[in-house]
Amino acid sequence: MNLISIEDLSVRFSTRSECIRAVETVNLDIARGDHVALIGESGCGKTVLGMAVMGLLPKNARIGGAVRYREHDIIQAAEPDIQRIRGKEIAMIMQNSANTLNPVKTVGSQIAEPLLIHQILPAKAAHAEAVRLLAAMRFDEPERAAERYPHEFSGGMRERILVAIALACQPDVVIADEPTSGLDAGVKSQILVLLKQQMADRTLFLITHDMGTAYFLCTRIAVMYAGEIVEIGSTHDLLSMPMHPYTQGLLASLPSAGLHPIPGMSPSPAYLPEGCRFCARCPAATDRCSTCHPPLNDVSGTRQVRCFCYD
Amino acid sequence: MSRKIILWVSVAVLCAYIAIALCAPLLTPYSPTEITGAALQSPGAGHPLGTNDLGQDIFSQLVYGARITLLFGFCSALLAVLISTSVGIVIGYYGGLLDEIVSRAIDIFMPIPMFPLLIVLTAFFSPGVLQISLLMGILGSIYGIRIIRAQVLSIAQTNFVEGARAIGASDFHIMSRHILPNVMPVVMMKFVSSSQRMLVMGVGLSFIGLWDTTTVDWGTMIQNSYTSGGMALGLWWWLLPPGIAVIGISLALALIGYSFEEKFNPRVGVNRI
Repeated sequence: MNLISIEDLSVRFSTRSECIRAVETVNLDIARGDHVALIGESGCGKTVLGMAVMGLLPKNARIGGAVRYREHDIIQAAEPDIQRIRGKEIAMIMQNSANTLNPVKTVGSQIAEPLLIHQILPAKAAHAEAVRLLAAMRFDEPERAAERYPHEFSGGMRERILVAIALACQPDVVIADEPTSGLDAGVKSQILVLLKQQMADRTLFLITHDMGTAYFLCTRIAVMYAGEIVEIGSTHDLLSMPMHPYTQGLLASLPSAGLHPIPGMSPSPAYLPEGCRFCARCPAATDRCSTCHPPLNDVSGTRQVRCFCYD
Repeated sequence: MSRKIILWVSVAVLCAYIAIALCAPLLTPYSPTEITGAALQSPGAGHPLGTNDLGQDIFSQLVYGARITLLFGFCSALLAVLISTSVGIVIGYYGGLLDEIVSRAIDIFMPIPMFPLLIVLTAFFSPGVLQISLLMGILGSIYGIRIIRAQVLSIAQTNFVEGARAIGASDFHIMSRHILPNVMPVVMMKFVSSSQRMLVMGVGLSFIGLWDTTTVDWGTMIQNSYTSGGMALGLWWWLLPPGIAVIGISLALALIGYSFEEKFNPRVGVNRI
């Protein structure tokens, strides 16, 4: 049973002169308890996809398709209905922890806030719960930490505070957008271990550019390139035997594999090529690739690839 | 450190003024309009600041005058700040057509100087003190709307507003719990500076004689001493006390305004670690 299913989701932004196709016909199913990673480079549309699942796209976005969560269609639902779900059933750990906390409110009050908004606990109990969450996030003196302001904490601590806010209402689904960006290796692994523990009985949708994070936290990986999903598979299959040339390139560009970057740049979302979007950078490209757009084909039951090599 | 001293001294001065206004009946045995004896007495026993041309006790007028003058200043400023904060937050947060309409209307009203406009309006309609205060609150909010709107525009772009949306906060919740605390330093400064402005403007209006001349406030006192010959006769104890009182409160409010930013913005605070 799928908890979230993204069906033919497209997101476009129109400016005066051009149309930016940020996300195009993405299909992705996330079952209860599933841990899915969405991997891609900066600007490939992965954050826009995450925002779409939260129903948080800006007003100027033109959205096609559907995002189904239980009986709701998040794209079509009325704002007050999604507000009841957001933070309570689907929570998000936002990118860039430095600015995601309100600078003039104490950390404790910000962790208690979702509990108050969704009227889960009265004020006093919510504050006590905030302290408990801070303790669960391994803060040494949770009572004192709750009384402090965000600028008094380091980047890693703020990230843990964001995790605490996301987990406050015991949500079923957590969407984590680059939860470890900008953190050093030691702090990063700390956060990852914490996340892994907390996600044990929850559904996780991780948005990242980091293979290591995806490998550590997720059971399934979807690779996104220029607004499209190019490959989906279980973490083990995908990493041990990458099929799409882009996935192969990504793995080869890792430091452990010898730092071989993929030549060229990804296409601008305003001027996407007609054929395969990876065609210009692909070592295996043929004439067909530059004129025809490859569909996402099933290779096996759990594996899908968007490449003519596997027809 | 010296800033702190200035702040506390100013707050003390402000509190003293408020205390004097509240305790007026305890400080003086006379009512400000009561005729207590001979006219134009010099300061002496029983009349610390002498009497005016009608034989009213000037000290009593000064003490009771604080009530009207302060109340007028604070009420007008409070109204101005309430309007500019709520309108500024709403149009800055939602933007769109509403913002466009309100902003253009402000552009039209902004260049009209407020004090001459007030003089014209009060001269025509001769409203009571309360109506003038209302009018000043509305007119005085115009500039504030702009300032708050500009603040809100930058705050609405920040990640924590997005973050608040992600935990299911409604627009009202975001505006009242996230944006308002962030504009609070500006609102407080605006309140203090406009109470100073409104207070001085009220004194100005009553000095010109445009409001009910039977109310006793510092403006009418200065006006009386001016038109009834107090100035020509060199009766400084009639003219100077209300003038010094106005300068004192206006200076105290201005200095509090300057010190407020540090107090209300936790990021600026130096001794909080």
